[in-house]
Amino acid sequence: MISRAFLFVIVALYTAFAAGPFLWVATMSLRTTSEISLDHYAWPEKLHWDKFPQAWFNSNYSVYFQNSTLVVISAVIVLTVVGAMAAHCFARYRFRINRLLYFVIFSAIIFPPQITIIALFQILVDYGLYNSLLGLTLVYIAVQLPLTVYILESFFARIPADLFDAARIDGYAEWDIFWKVSLPIAMPAIATTVILNTILLWNEFLYAVVLITDEAKRTLPLGIQRFMGDQLEDVGMIATGLMIAIIPVVIIYIFFSEKLIQGMTAGAVK
Amino acid sequence: MATVALKELTKRYAGSDLLAVDAVNLDVKHGEFMVLLGPSGCGKSTTLRMIAGLESIGSGDLLIDGKRVNTVPAKDRDIAMVFQSYALYPHMSVFDNLSFGLRRRDIARSEIDRRVTNVAATLGLSELLKRKPHALSGGQRQRVALGRAIVRDPKVFLFDEPLSNLDAALRVGMRGELIKLHHKLGATMIYVTHDQVEAMTMGDRICIMNGGKVVQLGSPLDVYRDPADMFVASFLGSPPTNLIPGRFDGSGSTLAVGQAKLPVAKKGEAEEVIFGIRPEDIRIDGSAPHTYGEVLAVEPLGAETIVRFRLPDVAHDVLVRGPRSVTAKVGERVPLAFDVASAHLFDPLTTRRIA
Repeated sequence: MISRAFLFVIVALYTAFAAGPFLWVATMSLRTTSEISLDHYAWPEKLHWDKFPQAWFNSNYSVYFQNSTLVVISAVIVLTVVGAMAAHCFARYRFRINRLLYFVIFSAIIFPPQITIIALFQILVDYGLYNSLLGLTLVYIAVQLPLTVYILESFFARIPADLFDAARIDGYAEWDIFWKVSLPIAMPAIATTVILNTILLWNEFLYAVVLITDEAKRTLPLGIQRFMGDQLEDVGMIATGLMIAIIPVVIIYIFFSEKLIQGMTAGAVK
Repeated sequence: MATVALKELTKRYAGSDLLAVDAVNLDVKHGEFMVLLGPSGCGKSTTLRMIAGLESIGSGDLLIDGKRVNTVPAKDRDIAMVFQSYALYPHMSVFDNLSFGLRRRDIARSEIDRRVTNVAATLGLSELLKRKPHALSGGQRQRVALGRAIVRDPKVFLFDEPLSNLDAALRVGMRGELIKLHHKLGATMIYVTHDQVEAMTMGDRICIMNGGKVVQLGSPLDVYRDPADMFVASFLGSPPTNLIPGRFDGSGSTLAVGQAKLPVAKKGEAEEVIFGIRPEDIRIDGSAPHTYGEVLAVEPLGAETIVRFRLPDVAHDVLVRGPRSVTAKVGERVPLAFDVASAHLFDPLTTRRIA
């Protein structure tokens, strides 16, 4: 009983810690900047819902949102399919350079983006992909692929080899086995990488700010940055923009949290 | 139905000096139940996996129905295999598990339904078709694995220790069902096991393997009665054959085993031999004892009693399978008589049987 109460207190404290800032941004998103500067923490006296359409239409958020959606969805689709295929091969097939390839892909994780970004910038310029959503998408894929392969490989490796043998004997070729056996069984791990990649890329700022300059090609994090001027910060509008960016993430969490937990705790595929 | 022929089949795993399978020759007839028996690591599973197409063939030939299939992929060999782990697809219902192989093969939906329904009825799975494997018991999973093989109506059935994961009672039951199934289908089956009881009860013929080689091939009783070497003698039978060093006297008509003088005629040159006698061929008998033994342990099994003896001047303990009426006590000295006619002599150097 005591341990339950203790657990409750811990969870309540953590929830307050995690939800507090979110709640603060939520209240600020419904207040004007002048109201906020009077009292930073006050509850909204009047709910300024009109700030949302204002941000969406007048401050170009619709464009940012579309750009973000396009880049993130394309990147995540490619990441998931290519990552799963690569992980399947690394986990399933014995070939000479298996571990070497795996090491090369995975070692990319150790480089912080600050090291690679200038080279990346140059490469994108050379290929005419600088300042384009396609270029940003490709960079996102390249950056997130090692982690995706890493997470999926460890899961694929735990699928018993007998299942693949059984499918081969049932008359299936390797390609079909991937789609009909490996992939469905790995769904919890796939869901984990989908959520992880979606959220990371949705919030990504550094690559976007370096590789995108065109106003019409900005993604949401860049759009929010636009409200931070040199002299004046439109805090109220920033909060509204943040809420627009946060809502899809929250929705994804609500729908996928169960799968996410499954993926993180999954072990037995018996 | 089909024949399976292995000609000098050999396999060496990369990075290993040892041959996992060493020039195995085997002819499996139409409708035969062939058991590959041996201790773990003897190459029996590798042999089976080569037949299945799951393992590449190092050298030699594999023929199914007279056709060389060395390089034919597993999916095109028209064989079915039951795995020790069952290998059911965890994300599919029982119905989908059973029909997975059929759906590959351009078979009409109605025909698939009919075959799955029939097999499910035969195996008592009709009520479970909608369940996922994780909601099944071990025995039920075993049945689904079996059903998945039967429903395909393949040329050859392969079994890789399919009963090892079941508990003892279920295993005996499934053993009987597999025998019935074999009679009913009349299909060619190759069955890998390390369990000699399964081998003895199920096999038309047993192929005993050790160290990647075939040691002996024959009907269960032939192999049991006439083991080719000391390995087979000690591997087959529980408790195993007693292997006791013996020595012929000058005349060559009497073999000294410990203090016992046995009327055994010398064959070949060897003076020193290994005398092999099954536990049931030694009697506790005071009428004409060959020797006396000191009782070390008594294991009453209900139907019979296993008694462990120490014989004078013999290093190994000797096991005797006696009737349940045996009343010997530990420490007692008991007269023993050997049924010499059923015993075998082995060469201690080559381990092969001499007589």
